[in-house]
Amino acid sequence: MKPIYILTYCLLFVTLLHGQEKYLTKQGYTSFFSSSPVEDIKADNNQVLSIIDTTTGTIAIAILMKSFMFEKSLMQEHFNENYVESDTYPKATFKGQILNFSTLNEDQKTANIKGDITIHGVTKKIEIKTQIVKTPENISLKGSFPVTVADFNIKIPSVVINNIAETIDVTFQLDHQPYKK
Amino acid sequence: MTRKIKMVTLFLILVVASMGLYIYLELYNKPHVDVSRSSPNISVDSSIILKDFEDSEADANTKYLEKIVQVTGVISELNTNKGKTIVTISGQNTFGSIMCHLSPEENIKADHLKEGQNITIKGICTGYLMDVILVKCVIIN
Repeated sequence: MKPIYILTYCLLFVTLLHGQEKYLTKQGYTSFFSSSPVEDIKADNNQVLSIIDTTTGTIAIAILMKSFMFEKSLMQEHFNENYVESDTYPKATFKGQILNFSTLNEDQKTANIKGDITIHGVTKKIEIKTQIVKTPENISLKGSFPVTVADFNIKIPSVVINNIAETIDVTFQLDHQPYKK
Repeated sequence: MTRKIKMVTLFLILVVASMGLYIYLELYNKPHVDVSRSSPNISVDSSIILKDFEDSEADANTKYLEKIVQVTGVISELNTNKGKTIVTISGQNTFGSIMCHLSPEENIKADHLKEGQNITIKGICTGYLMDVILVKCVIIN
């Protein structure tokens, strides 16, 4: 099953890169925040890959789970080993559409994005509202959305059930630049 | 006599409890890996690590992920993101490259880096997107 996934991602990126109007970032930012009565947990990732095809408004995002940096190394260890099982599922991905992309102009402040998000091997449909800045030099997307841990088949042991929120806030900022080969 | 036993028991309980608490706190506050003070798990040439990831990402993942990897290669690009320097090392005849995100302490050293220069750098490998990604990087040479 796994090699097929990898092949699909590779093909996806290769085909996306062959066209003309690509905007891309390799240093996108994503963080998540869990707030519970016991403790707050936050992790940042500055290595998000995101590609927009401006001819169709398609967007593809890939995130390495091991690139999430936590304040405490024990949290990072638990996150990778027990919760998202990053050895088995090293990436989270999103593939979708920026709705009405071609009609968006520079005055537009928000856009809706709709597509499939895959975390921990589980794929869910998602539609979120984002802030957008679209100029010829830059396409920037910024926003946040909630993720329910149980939706993605992530099991939290009962011992730490009070330490981790059931719903995690995911924040992102992606500044895409035109892709030059 | 019984009083003495009670005292001893109480003392023992206290010792065990404080040891438990100590171990718990040690574990909870366990520091992150200090890349600059650790010797690398793997030392490779940039072309080899890139080829490994291009040949089989799954195999390369088992080999490199979360390891301290020391890479030698030529700087093809220098960028900054949020004040942190990102050194891109390219391979020979390979499509991808290695993106090394420097640790904040290393930023000062980045000023004298130039494109085209040879570099040896070590960092923690977190995986492969379009490029191999190393974080918390430290410049060796």
